Amino acid sequence: MASLVISRIFVPATHRSLRHLLNRKSIAKFHNYHAKNLQIIIPQSNQKRLYSEKKVFERNKPHCNVGTIGHVDHGKTTLTAAITKVLADSKLAKARGYADIDNAPEEKARGITINVAHIEYQTEKRHYGHTDCPGHADYIKNMITGAAQMDGAILVVAATDGVMPQTREHLLLAKQIGVTDLVVFINKVDTADKEMVELVEMEIRELLTEMGFDGDSVPIICGSALCALEGKDPEIGKNAILKLLEAVDVHIPTPVRELDKPFLLPVEHTYSIPGRGTVVTGRLERGVVKKGADCEFVGFSKVLKSTVTGVEMFHQILEEAQAGDQLGALVRGLKRDDIKRGMVMAKPGTVKSYDQIESQVYVLSKEEGGRTKPFTSFIQLQMFCRTWDCAVQVVVPDKEMVMPGEDSKLILKMMRPMVLEQGQRFTLRDGSVTLGTGVVTKVLPLMKEEERQTLTEGKKAREKKTATQQ
Amino acid sequence: MQLILRNIPRFFHTSTPKALAAEKSALGTLRKKTGYTFTNCKKALEMHSNDIEKAEEWLKQQAQALGWSKATKLEGRQTTQGLIGVAIDNNNGVLVEINCETDFVARNVEFENMVKEAAESCLNYLKNTQKSGNSITKVGLDADQLKTLKASDGKSLADKLALMIGTVGENASLKRAIGIRVNNGIYLTGYAHPSGKATSNILLGRIGSLLAIKNLNPENPKIEELAKGICQHVVGLAPKAIGHIDAKPAENKEEETNLIHQEYLLDDSLTVKELLEENQLEVVDFRRFECGENVEINQ
Repeated sequence: MASLVISRIFVPATHRSLRHLLNRKSIAKFHNYHAKNLQIIIPQSNQKRLYSEKKVFERNKPHCNVGTIGHVDHGKTTLTAAITKVLADSKLAKARGYADIDNAPEEKARGITINVAHIEYQTEKRHYGHTDCPGHADYIKNMITGAAQMDGAILVVAATDGVMPQTREHLLLAKQIGVTDLVVFINKVDTADKEMVELVEMEIRELLTEMGFDGDSVPIICGSALCALEGKDPEIGKNAILKLLEAVDVHIPTPVRELDKPFLLPVEHTYSIPGRGTVVTGRLERGVVKKGADCEFVGFSKVLKSTVTGVEMFHQILEEAQAGDQLGALVRGLKRDDIKRGMVMAKPGTVKSYDQIESQVYVLSKEEGGRTKPFTSFIQLQMFCRTWDCAVQVVVPDKEMVMPGEDSKLILKMMRPMVLEQGQRFTLRDGSVTLGTGVVTKVLPLMKEEERQTLTEGKKAREKKTATQQ
Repeated sequence: MQLILRNIPRFFHTSTPKALAAEKSALGTLRKKTGYTFTNCKKALEMHSNDIEKAEEWLKQQAQALGWSKATKLEGRQTTQGLIGVAIDNNNGVLVEINCETDFVARNVEFENMVKEAAESCLNYLKNTQKSGNSITKVGLDADQLKTLKASDGKSLADKLALMIGTVGENASLKRAIGIRVNNGIYLTGYAHPSGKATSNILLGRIGSLLAIKNLNPENPKIEELAKGICQHVVGLAPKAIGHIDAKPAENKEEETNLIHQEYLLDDSLTVKELLEENQLEVVDFRRFECGENVEINQ
């Protein structure tokens, strides 16, 4: 497509106007060989103009990511297709067929496990990105690398089958990736009767409560995605889908935008400017910084309080810096040597240093440029995060080793406390090899002094210790 | 108007509470008791005029047939996930692979039990086979042979699998198995990764391995630990062959496929060969199964 766009810029204007009359598909097919013949053969029936095909995304509603989870035969894909169809009626989505959603062909062809279909649609209230997760390991990998996210999930259960044994595993996945808000859709109501539906609902609530969700207040909507898709029986078809979307609108909270969070700037460089003071530079990760704002520098076991006395971007004074801006901030009363790259400038009290975290890490396979060999607990790695890096010791809590290409829970013990928070992404490297990428799932309390000392101990010392303990 | 229409069923509902309540509990109880799908439970109740016991009996009888019909319906759907079962009983050891469609099912207890069942059946089958004259006997089983094996309750594994397909509603297949019998004096051990769910004597994981090792020094106290370590090494580094002692190691250490020339996984300061020599051990044979890999079964 890109090459098409470029070539279109360069072709003569007369030629171009003719091409506008053809649709994109036929050009792509015959572009190289038959473009000239086509001008004669294809009648000027298609009036669509090419450049207007790419619609400009309107950012007038908050965005939210949802996903469907459930058994393979319970109609997740049909439901997704039905949602787009129902919304297409009110011009809020482009109707997508079952086949479009079921196999994202590009990804399949590339052979990469990002086989998550992405669909977009919007309701009156919000704009949605919709994903489907085909497998546990696939989804975890996508979650860690950031390819797919879920702010909330729609659990699909067929009324004819009820809760399946593996629904438990589906809910476990939701928990593991931090989805706390669920909406349930009982599908295939058209082939079940009322009491069955009621029993299924009871069963779902029971299971949800057992799995640690708020089973009693999770909204459950009954309907038939197939009816909605075929335009039959609006009560369980179209209306049920609209009811489901309303429940999603209400029940799944909108994620907080980066711009609305308290400000945070990872320090990249510090300069001392004679006559003015110390300037720190970096890219504002989130929030808004104004002149006069109180700030705090955290990192390397230090916390320094200060005030921002000026904000600049490209040597120009900035009234207010927003998330994403590359800026320099003049800070009061601190020397250049007080602040180091790797520290974080943030709104006072919003960040803290930790030296022990629980994380979910995807370990790159050999083909992806990762290690060839598996690793075990106590391996020493370098952790890179924001502008800092630090040596860490790895503890593998629930298995004996981690193979390349696998995801795993890891506990990372850092040589010194650094600014970290839940949801923070980082990279692990082993010498010159990138070992994997991960996300912080939980921050653990600071280590005691004795614990910290054990980090630098060798294997021999560890073995000796366990021997004496026995 | 629509509101009134929507409420009509409710009137019916309240007007005949007793009859409905009875039915509801019957369907509910049956489902809870048996775990079969609502459609089947309902059908059973209808056939036996709401007699729960009779319906349950019928369901149990039908389960096999229903499982089979489901299995035939789902046949042909790709199964790329699954589990490897590793079972060891003194001188006998087996590796079994069973596949399913999603890893959600592979994590489920029903599926795990199926793999355990299959591993046990293979182990029994192995114990009853003739030993060959060698110190080590290997028996390979393909999908068709596995299907005919009898489980502990006399049913064939194919029947068992169909039952499981009936409950989880996903296609599954018995892929392959291999059994190793060794004579006394050879130590047999197994390893499965990830090893989180080790219960009883059957290990379950995505990758499994079996290792037969000869102990040249009967007094060796660490044989168990070392054999397990080497078995873990086989899982982790996927060697293709044992390799000959005199053969030259590959120039690039990362690409070494002969077991004895590889760096030992648990201590990379020595190779497996050095470890074996140090402890007077000799690897007789090993087998490694990785879930979803494409390999011909060889004896």
